[in-house]
Amino acid sequence: MSAARLSLGRIALNGAATLSLGFILLPLFFVFWLAFFRQEIPSFPPEGYSLKWFQAAANNKPFVDGFILSLQVGVLATLIGLVLGVPASLALMRHRIALGPAINTLLLLPLVMPGIVLGTSLYVFQIETEIATGLPVMGSLGGLVAAHSLVVIPWVVKLVTASLAGFDRTIEEAAQNLGAGPWTTFRRVTLPSIRPGLVAGSLFGFVTSFGNLEMSLFLVGPGRTTLPIAILQYLEWKIDPTVAAASVIQIVLIGAAMIVTDRYVKLSRVV
Amino acid sequence: MLVVPATIFVAIGLIGPIAILFRYSLNQFIPGQFMVDGLTIENYVKFFTDAFYLNVLWRTVRVAVVCTIVCLIMGFPLAYVLARTESRFKNLLIMLVVLPLFVGNAVRAAGWMTAFGSKGALNASLMGLGVIDQPLEIMFTETAVIIGIIAVNLPFMVLTLQSVIEGINRNVEEAAFSLGAGPAAMFRRVLWPLAMPGILAGTILTFILAMNAYATPVLLGGPKFQTMGPLVYGQFAQQNNWPFGGAISFILMTATLLLTIAANLIVQRRYR
Repeated sequence: MSAARLSLGRIALNGAATLSLGFILLPLFFVFWLAFFRQEIPSFPPEGYSLKWFQAAANNKPFVDGFILSLQVGVLATLIGLVLGVPASLALMRHRIALGPAINTLLLLPLVMPGIVLGTSLYVFQIETEIATGLPVMGSLGGLVAAHSLVVIPWVVKLVTASLAGFDRTIEEAAQNLGAGPWTTFRRVTLPSIRPGLVAGSLFGFVTSFGNLEMSLFLVGPGRTTLPIAILQYLEWKIDPTVAAASVIQIVLIGAAMIVTDRYVKLSRVV
Repeated sequence: MLVVPATIFVAIGLIGPIAILFRYSLNQFIPGQFMVDGLTIENYVKFFTDAFYLNVLWRTVRVAVVCTIVCLIMGFPLAYVLARTESRFKNLLIMLVVLPLFVGNAVRAAGWMTAFGSKGALNASLMGLGVIDQPLEIMFTETAVIIGIIAVNLPFMVLTLQSVIEGINRNVEEAAFSLGAGPAAMFRRVLWPLAMPGILAGTILTFILAMNAYATPVLLGGPKFQTMGPLVYGQFAQQNNWPFGGAISFILMTATLLLTIAANLIVQRRYR
């Protein structure tokens, strides 16, 4: 009887888990469905199905421009995040740095800072910088990239330090004993062992930047809008299959990026 | 020395701006003149003496608390199953939880907009089934915002809980069972206390995110449904009132922090 009760409990547990997973995925399912409607109004059941909205989305200038800008910002911010984050992670894991834990916390802090607070404070910071230097910082690509680098760094630090956790330093010493210089040691010994962390950190950093909405809202300039903001502004006006199609393209690209990354490093181990 | 550039970058990019924002919040705003340098707490006084703004704060806290509790209840079973499964689809299941996180809040709000409209999927199917004969008004209500935020935050809760549950040795569960505990007693006396660090971390994370939500309340709540996030944005983008916007932003940050610390203390006292 106890076994019967246990298996009944197991069914209830799996049922509850399925329900929650379904709830998480439900909005994406509706976006997919709407993107293929024949009629423009999102009324159910649909009158028929069509692929024409994908072309409409590809011809929508704000979406295309937003996509290109998000791509640029994401790539640049990820590169900066790697250049700053990887050396920092190496140093944090290997040397006993004074204030090490405090620095580690600081570097991870942008991840838990609310986007609205980050956006408003960077906005006033950029105003002050513009006043102090006379450079056009507000609404510029550079200002946006710098802000996005701030949210990429935590992902790089988090995932690279995680991949260094099991790293045996004596291997590096062995390489140097065998005559390898610091650069060769890094390239042939250290780099291969942190590769999973690098790949995962770059992906998570890029995707965080690409999808960032709240912070970017304060930092974009006239005629310079990222894709999430373009989608938000469109949705404030109306919902139709065109914006759904643009969203589907985004979902598919991000899904593909995750599957590719998963070949290098199992997502279930790094998230 | 390798750690210096990143540290300086984050310190300047994070702490500097917050300090300036705080300074701005003590400035005066005179309509027509924009921002006037000053040292006044009138922006904070204005917030806490106006019923409208207090109402917005209260609504934000209420929505965030409801969303966080529901996320914990809905997230635990899924996190447990993901942590304990030996299925070869485990990685795929985790990707399905992570994917919506990366897709962005606006896109997910779009999904709910499709469902909630008067001719949307939900109303059409309920009316088709004959459950209701008038469409439910869900769009632009607090219910819609709560549903939207729960869906946005649930993956964070699930992933946090899952990583902690994976670290709990399965044998302690088996031990509880073999000592005669039923599933409920095992959960209450073994799993729940051991998972407490994850429960705390997940609750804090989802609470912070819910307090600071922007896209979901704007799109699912409509222009009349004000929460703190959209309120801050409005002060900056539409009113150009930087001092007051800065003050609200600071109140939002402080309220989030205080409620988080309070919850932390209560939980620690109970589970020490």
